[in-house]
Amino acid sequence: MIVNLYPLKEFKLPVIAECINPEVFKGKSIEEIGRLEVWEGNKQRRLNELFKLEAEEAESSPEAPVITIHGDVSRVRRIGAGMKNGEIVVKGDAGMHLGEEMRDGKITVYGNVLGWAGSMMRGGTIEVHGNAGDYLGAPYRGSTEGMKGGKIIVHGNVGREAGAHMKKGIIKIYGCAGQFVGFRMKGGTIYVQKDCEARVGACMVDGTIIVGGCVESVLPSFTIEGLRKRVKIEEGEVVEAPFYLFTGDLTENGRGRLFVAKGPNPHLSHYEKFL
Amino acid sequence: MELLIRNGFVFDPINGVNGEKMDIAVKDGKIVDKVNESRAKTIDATGMVVMPGGVDIHSHIAGGKVNAGRLLRPEDHFKDVERKTAVTRSGVGYSIPSTFTTGYRYARMGWTTVMDPAMPPLEAKHTHEELSDTPIIDKASYPLLGDWWFVLEYLRDGKIEECARHVAWMIKATKGYAIKVVNPGGLEAWGYGRNVESLDDPVPCFGITPREIIRGLCKVNKLLHLPHTIHLHTNNLGKPGNYLTALETMRCVEDLAENGKPVIHITHCQFCAFKGDDWRTFQSGAEEIANYVNAHSHVTLDMGQVIFTDTTTMTADGPFQYTLYTLTGNKWTNHDVETETSAGIVPFHYKRKSYVHATQWSIGLELALLIKDPWKIMMTTDHPNGGPFTAYPRIIAWLMSRKAREATLRKINPKARSRSLLPSISRELDFYEIAIVTRAGQAKALGLKNKGHLGVGADADIAIYNFNPETMDPAKNYRAVRRAFKRAAYTIKGGQVVVKDGEVLKHMDGATMWLDVQLCEPCEIELNENLKRRFKEYWTVEFENYPVSEDYLAVSHPIPVKADV
Amino acid sequence: MPVVKAVSCPVCGSLCDDIELTIENGEVVKVKNGCAMCEAKFLSHRSEHRIRKPLIRKDGEFVETTLEEAIRRTAEILAEANYPVLYGWSNTSCEAISVGIELAEEVGGVIDNTAVVCHGPSLLSVQDMGIPSCTLGQIRHRADLIIYWGCDPWSAHPRHIERYTAFAEGRFEKSAWRGYMAKIRSLIGLKKIRSAAKRLVLKEPSEIEARLKPTFVPSIAREGRKLIVVDVRRTKTAEMADFFIQVEPGKDYELLQALRALVRDQELEVDHVAGVPVEYLEEVVDAMVSCDFGALFFGLGLTMGGAKLRNIDAALSLIRDLNMRTKFVIMPMRGHFNVTGANMVFTWQTGYPYAVDFSLGYPRYNPGETSVVDVLLRGESDAALVVASDPVSSFPRKAAEHLARNPLIYVGPHMDVTAQVADVVIPSAFVGIEAPGTAYRMDHVPIPLKKVVDPPEGVLPDEEILRRILSEVRKIKREKTKAEAA
Repeated sequence: MIVNLYPLKEFKLPVIAECINPEVFKGKSIEEIGRLEVWEGNKQRRLNELFKLEAEEAESSPEAPVITIHGDVSRVRRIGAGMKNGEIVVKGDAGMHLGEEMRDGKITVYGNVLGWAGSMMRGGTIEVHGNAGDYLGAPYRGSTEGMKGGKIIVHGNVGREAGAHMKKGIIKIYGCAGQFVGFRMKGGTIYVQKDCEARVGACMVDGTIIVGGCVESVLPSFTIEGLRKRVKIEEGEVVEAPFYLFTGDLTENGRGRLFVAKGPNPHLSHYEKFL
Repeated sequence: MELLIRNGFVFDPINGVNGEKMDIAVKDGKIVDKVNESRAKTIDATGMVVMPGGVDIHSHIAGGKVNAGRLLRPEDHFKDVERKTAVTRSGVGYSIPSTFTTGYRYARMGWTTVMDPAMPPLEAKHTHEELSDTPIIDKASYPLLGDWWFVLEYLRDGKIEECARHVAWMIKATKGYAIKVVNPGGLEAWGYGRNVESLDDPVPCFGITPREIIRGLCKVNKLLHLPHTIHLHTNNLGKPGNYLTALETMRCVEDLAENGKPVIHITHCQFCAFKGDDWRTFQSGAEEIANYVNAHSHVTLDMGQVIFTDTTTMTADGPFQYTLYTLTGNKWTNHDVETETSAGIVPFHYKRKSYVHATQWSIGLELALLIKDPWKIMMTTDHPNGGPFTAYPRIIAWLMSRKAREATLRKINPKARSRSLLPSISRELDFYEIAIVTRAGQAKALGLKNKGHLGVGADADIAIYNFNPETMDPAKNYRAVRRAFKRAAYTIKGGQVVVKDGEVLKHMDGATMWLDVQLCEPCEIELNENLKRRFKEYWTVEFENYPVSEDYLAVSHPIPVKADV
Repeated sequence: MPVVKAVSCPVCGSLCDDIELTIENGEVVKVKNGCAMCEAKFLSHRSEHRIRKPLIRKDGEFVETTLEEAIRRTAEILAEANYPVLYGWSNTSCEAISVGIELAEEVGGVIDNTAVVCHGPSLLSVQDMGIPSCTLGQIRHRADLIIYWGCDPWSAHPRHIERYTAFAEGRFEKSAWRGYMAKIRSLIGLKKIRSAAKRLVLKEPSEIEARLKPTFVPSIAREGRKLIVVDVRRTKTAEMADFFIQVEPGKDYELLQALRALVRDQELEVDHVAGVPVEYLEEVVDAMVSCDFGALFFGLGLTMGGAKLRNIDAALSLIRDLNMRTKFVIMPMRGHFNVTGANMVFTWQTGYPYAVDFSLGYPRYNPGETSVVDVLLRGESDAALVVASDPVSSFPRKAAEHLARNPLIYVGPHMDVTAQVADVVIPSAFVGIEAPGTAYRMDHVPIPLKKVVDPPEGVLPDEEILRRILSEVRKIKREKTKAEAA
């Protein structure tokens, strides 16, 4: 089954709608889905008070429904939170906490997403064709439980602290990234194709960060290991270009690996004297 | 208002009532002989257990340290929330619940009196502001006095009576209830990042030893006739081999006991019953402690039971918390308080599969079961240090049922299981004994005359649990025990029904109890003059702004005490 | 003339409680022991900017109204709102804050205090790392090394140094430089003279400066306490320091991480960090690890620059590292006199220190999402209550604009910018002068605030105003439920 959701209005108030989740929709009629509870500001509403709902039978009917949202839902938070299977497609911008704690399944956004997309993610895939906000894949405040698995692909730019406290999984950013990419990360891989603001890999303990563009600076608490001719991002994706390899963060006795492309970063050439 | 609780199985150990079917009558917030049956509201407690409201002798529920713990851990709260209802305020848990939630959660389990055991005197107003915001339950707090410079100096100079007068002033000024001593001498040493290692290790810059502090404050406590003994968190807490320190501590005040009455309370004893030279050779020292306690009558203990969960450790023992931080690498908050004390906070996860944690779990239960006289050992988790107080129903089940213990034993670290004494212990507490370790014993140790029993004149704080001891065996049906204690059928506080079937029916203020210590000579003026003179040298606040006025207490309940000095 | 002693000063987070006030005809006429800010506040609380009557906007103009009507209108706005914000709280008493939280819960709103625009980010890092700290007296008695980072106490917390740190007399740090103290005092006196001269004598400032130029600039003796200042510019506090590190703007994080690496005996592969030679940093680190008790105070210069909240993460980590070597503590220099109290009350009642969202009926917290500035920037709120604060002048423009578009209620003593754009204005008494209460010092020590004079006639304290609003909101809700039932 495919469920199509059309926003009935331009949302002004924050909407909390963790019920937009294939797992929740599964086995329910369109009327039952319409009666699911959501919050708009401080008022409890039903899903069909905010969205027009349409069901269509898919040709190849997968087990869990596919949810397609048509329109701007950038005020709608927690879409697909905790989802375990199925698929969500957002044709428009999506709000905060998209796919928070998701375990499996797929979310595709043809637009931008706000902060905390894929927060505390454990599995599955999130693909964003626009930009992503701050704290991509990062944990909740005060927690060190970052991303533990799964894949996030962003074709645009991302905000600050992407992949903070990450333990496992992969984040690929084909645009630029804000500061503190991979802050305190413990494992996994982050790839930034374009430029990175400062403090990449701050306090990282383990894991890999690859920056293909210019980095503002490398923290003084990183040490240069050597030069590499190419770097593998994941199975089937290799970047053929010379990279500096730094390890750190020394302040945390870290063994994290930070690859920075040599070409766009002539200001780092002074490190070569240590090689 | 009158209330009649009919036909329950009443367990009231202070009055020797052991499961007899009887009625309890309540009028104007007190237990009375009888009420007008036609006028009184009736609660049918047929087939249920009726006990006095629970009393907790040691639970960190309020004050600067607790709040620093709350602030430290948003990740502890965000999945455990309490929605606002028509009668209750909203809040969050888990290991360090917000104040309203704390009150409700205690009341839901049938607890009605809780003692916050660690109040830094300088920040006493904070503790009282939070206690006043903790609904339903009655409460009190113990000021931390073991490392207060005045105490160290007067005891060093042998001026016990001077010391007693200042302690009396302090208890009144902070609206406190008992003398709390934490790692005596160690907290002062922690001011410079050090600690004391034994009872005879001198405190840097003060020329006094922990032994002298403990003995001195014991004597002060007697001079002041305080209702509770000194409440002691031992030196070397949390270190392997510290059961020797605990034994030494108990021995060092043996000679101060009179008439077989307790003179010292060793709190969260589990944490100071560690045998072994290091974490590898770590072992339970519960048997040695229990043997000593069984042979002596001058000491009471509480368990400090460990629960397998993610919790938040917080004590005034700054150096201990620092050690815990270095062991775990977790976040760490430290808060030293000038002239008085310190505090530390570290989140901690007790894991079943950890040898040390599983052994700690075993030690707590071994202590409770090997100490023969239930009046000497009380049930606590040292909330939230061993685990949150909401785990009490599980501990009750472990105490009442060997089967419950075995079910947990099967899941713990195998080495810990093979070394645990629990499989060799067949003792199972009955409801009478449970009533002692969860209320009567605690009220008695605290000297609370109107709490912990259901005799005429007692406060009408009553818990009713839906468990029929006539038809069900708690040892076999331990899950039913757990359910019954988790959600009391009724909790009655001051004669009012506040909880029914685990739901809070009413938000009301509980009282804050404090000791109005009256000195026998008119030495108060002199005392004040002396304090005023030295105040600016010792503290960074003015003398006038230091004491807690009664306005800070939502319901003030002073208890007059006549001192011998 | 009656003199009131041990008055707490409701200005900054130092919360000095030794102020002596002389009262005459119901007004403060003399202030003893206070700094210039303290004097100004106590002496000018009856200024012409004071609001004396409740105002309500009708057809775009303010008209005077009764308190009852202002409260009724306020309650209507809040009770009808779908996502109201309640902001301010740092310049009022804990008792008032407590009622404010109850009100926020009742109306399902977002409540936030001024920490959101000052040390809120610091708190976020505290929630990640913890904070090894202490009360100020501990520093006074023991600290032999003081660091001020990104703050200038000499100007912003004028008595902080003399009461609590480098110039204070402690039990174990008996300073060998009483002589310096006198000179420092004279410097403070000089400052007062200078400000008085500026106010009274209409001469060119440079001329006054020339006359008052101190002949002696103190530097701390080699023995005794040491002072390190880290800042982007040479502040007044920096002039007294043993070590002054002029950090390149926005590079505090790099500097802190470099210090951490050095404390951990790591070699650095760069010669300069944040514009400072590594050799100099090594010297500073030697001083840090060899002290007996060190204390680092940080201000908004650290919290708001460059890496923002992660600067604090690094600073806290540095202190953690230093505690492996010696005793070290760290403390934020809190601005408003009761911003710490606001954090405290918020935390014990809701679990979180600021940015608490009650819209789902229970406290939720995620600064960036539930913080008032962000809520306003995204234009989500539909009503606002401001208590004892002036966000319209301090928030980013876009946030302030949205705030002004909301039905806006202002409760406070002054006709400040927020009051001017409000729809309902309710005058309130000055807490700590005209109303009693409790406030928390920057080190979490609760200190009582006194009522020393009466407020203007008909003007109530925040706490009482909020109570009346709350009970009115409940009345409206009851009426509504009844109407719906009928």
